Amino acid sequence: MSLSLQSGGAASRALAPPSTARAIADQGNQMTTRPITTGTSVLGMKYRGGVMLAADTLVSYGSLAKYKNARRLLSINSRTLIGAGGEYSDLQSIADLLRGNALNDRCTADSLYEEDNNEECAGEVWSYLRAVMYQRRNRMNPLWNDVVVAGFRQNPDGTTTDSPFLGVVDKIGTAYEDDVLATGFGAYIALPLMREKYRPDMEEGEARALLEDCLRILFYRDCRALNRVQIAKVTMDGGVLVSEPYELDTYWDFKGFVTNKGEMGTDGGW
Amino acid sequence: MFRNMYDTDVTVWSPEGRLLQVEYAMESVKQGSACVALRSDTHSVIGALKRSVSELSSHQQKILEIDDHLGIGIAGLTADARTLAKWMRNECLNHKYVYGTAMPTGRLATDLADRHQRTTQTYVRRPYGVGLLLASFDKNGPHVYQTCPSGNVYECYAAAIGARSQSGRTYLEKHHETFPTCGRDDLIMHALRALVGCISGDGELTSENGSIGVVGKDERFVLIEGAELQPYLDRLELEGGNNAGGAEEEEGEGDAEEEEEKEDDVMET
Amino acid sequence: MASSGSGYDLSSSTFSPDGRIFQIEYAAKAVENAGTALGLRCADGVVLAVEKPLVNRMLVARTTGGYTRSTSTRASRSRVSSATAGRSLTGRGRRRAITRRHHGTKIPPATLSSRISAYVHYFTLHGALRPFGASTLVAAYDTGTKRHSLHMIEPSGVCYEYYGAAAGRGRQPARTEMEKLVVNPSRVPEGGEMISVSEGVRQLAKIIHSLHDDAKDKPFELEMSWLCEGSGWKHEGVPREIIAGAVEWAKKEIENEGENDEEGDDDEDDEMEE
Repeated sequence: MSLSLQSGGAASRALAPPSTARAIADQGNQMTTRPITTGTSVLGMKYRGGVMLAADTLVSYGSLAKYKNARRLLSINSRTLIGAGGEYSDLQSIADLLRGNALNDRCTADSLYEEDNNEECAGEVWSYLRAVMYQRRNRMNPLWNDVVVAGFRQNPDGTTTDSPFLGVVDKIGTAYEDDVLATGFGAYIALPLMREKYRPDMEEGEARALLEDCLRILFYRDCRALNRVQIAKVTMDGGVLVSEPYELDTYWDFKGFVTNKGEMGTDGGW
Repeated sequence: MFRNMYDTDVTVWSPEGRLLQVEYAMESVKQGSACVALRSDTHSVIGALKRSVSELSSHQQKILEIDDHLGIGIAGLTADARTLAKWMRNECLNHKYVYGTAMPTGRLATDLADRHQRTTQTYVRRPYGVGLLLASFDKNGPHVYQTCPSGNVYECYAAAIGARSQSGRTYLEKHHETFPTCGRDDLIMHALRALVGCISGDGELTSENGSIGVVGKDERFVLIEGAELQPYLDRLELEGGNNAGGAEEEEGEGDAEEEEEKEDDVMET
Repeated sequence: MASSGSGYDLSSSTFSPDGRIFQIEYAAKAVENAGTALGLRCADGVVLAVEKPLVNRMLVARTTGGYTRSTSTRASRSRVSSATAGRSLTGRGRRRAITRRHHGTKIPPATLSSRISAYVHYFTLHGALRPFGASTLVAAYDTGTKRHSLHMIEPSGVCYEYYGAAAGRGRQPARTEMEKLVVNPSRVPEGGEMISVSEGVRQLAKIIHSLHDDAKDKPFELEMSWLCEGSGWKHEGVPREIIAGAVEWAKKEIENEGENDEEGDDDEDDEMEE
């Protein structure tokens, strides 16, 4: 407490009325409690010689199918892909952040030539994202996404062959790695199917067929999904490849889709 | 004593376009005892001579571990070095937390150099009076970096800094082409031989004043001192090399003086 | 030194009676003592070349010094003199370029250059700071106007756009040499055409090598980078084999010219600078 005798000292400050700012602070700040424009599932799977991601291109506004050609699979650097569901604007800012980092790495590389590039491997991008997401969550202001990261992991000694990497980070900073991953509704619908069919030695074609099947089933079952999709892969020698959006064939004449099964004779379930 | 009026502030350029305070800071590196570093294709090694102030005191610490994959050797103001070491450890730890991998040495070295540089640009702080040798093994293999108070950083195959380091440097320059294929122990021997040349007068390299740090493929950074260093010193003894006036070093002294000239404008690159 | 300020030259916040700020001139002197850096704006791209002195034989030439840097994929810079001051500048430029990226556009070359020059200039205003001892060459491509350009920022904060720019020890003779090249679009001789990037690489290699005195100067590495259609308008190191080819050609040229006339070396110390 100040002992100053000057006017404006401690005494004059003692009974200041609570400011409006203070009043607002007392109520607490409300941060994001739900996402607004959202993407749905992302599927990811390792196969022989690479990693593949799949997602549809729908971004919903609540139950409204608002943007039907939004890309949710993005390349971050020459050997890393991300795919994300959840708040689309947060995904855009994450992509900006990661691409900014990649550019920075390129610019601060040890020399002007490729071989000295200090590019982050997928494992590092994933770990970095985990730190970002966890920090945001602890500040009670999360980035509302589940992000799948695919690519290759460099061995610490940099000598032996790199291994494929597939990991996911969620909005509270949980980081998890596996051979097959799915986020969003896909974690309930597609993941069991993928686990059943997955083999480590799958060829690229098989992997793609399986992922397309899963996307199709998600389109049938998930009201926030679309049959317009993208597939992306990272391979050992080819780097990153993200397909243009394309449409999956669908078949709606399954018996279960057309005949009522419920006792009530309504859409009680098929 | 004073060269001129331009030499008391880091923010003042001399008419020749030099920063004398920074150059003086570079001199303080030469006050510290010698430190050498070298690398092969699989290992990096630092060697240092430790001083003690009296018979009753312990020897100083010259090699500091920064992380599992990285250590530094110091010459100059030890306290400055500790500040920097603390900061470097923190950086490595942060990198490990954020990226889950070891800090790339090149990045740490440039960040460190930028830290040095900042002190040469503003009035309020003096430059760090310490030179560092970084020895590491990261995902790009083994590295040796040398930093100076001026903020310059060099990646080297081998380097020597500190008092009387010229003859060590001469030894390293003469042999550095054979280093890439050296095994771990051979590399340590090279470091010791280079160090022997840096000892003053009739001194000898002992398990007290010698210090070695090694890091390599599948091997985290370790210090070799005291009893662990003895076998290497014995080997050195067998070669008949543990003596400052060894034959090897005699011829080294020859070009030592002209080389010293080069040192002077190191900061200008 | 033409004249020294005696008492008026100790701070960049002090004018001398004849209106000069000596500290800036002294900082410029640091640049003049450093390895040569050249930039050439050719018809189809920009080339940068730097003489990178190797202080001793045990340096890893490839990674040491790093005189040429990318600030973003579209812009690059190379700089001379105290490598460290330059690195701090480069970092600044890079941060600017990256921040600007968030606006959805790449920062235009002139804007980037003037931002850097404003920053450099700031350091000439205060007694507590010192002017940068580095000149910066900025080679950049404007994605909006599809134009490439070369700028140079000096320790005083002065920034101009150039067809050919030189800084460092050999700048005077290098300028003379570059003036002989056809780089100014308004002065293309009849029937001639502007110099191309690949020719630029060879010419710069030749200039750097002809200015280097093997007996007197330290051994050096020639670092070259470009920004042209071939590199996808990204700043890249010139492929090593192209540099090697250019150097071979340059050495032959120098030898041939040497037979024709024996030129005396320019005296570096007594050059009169504006």
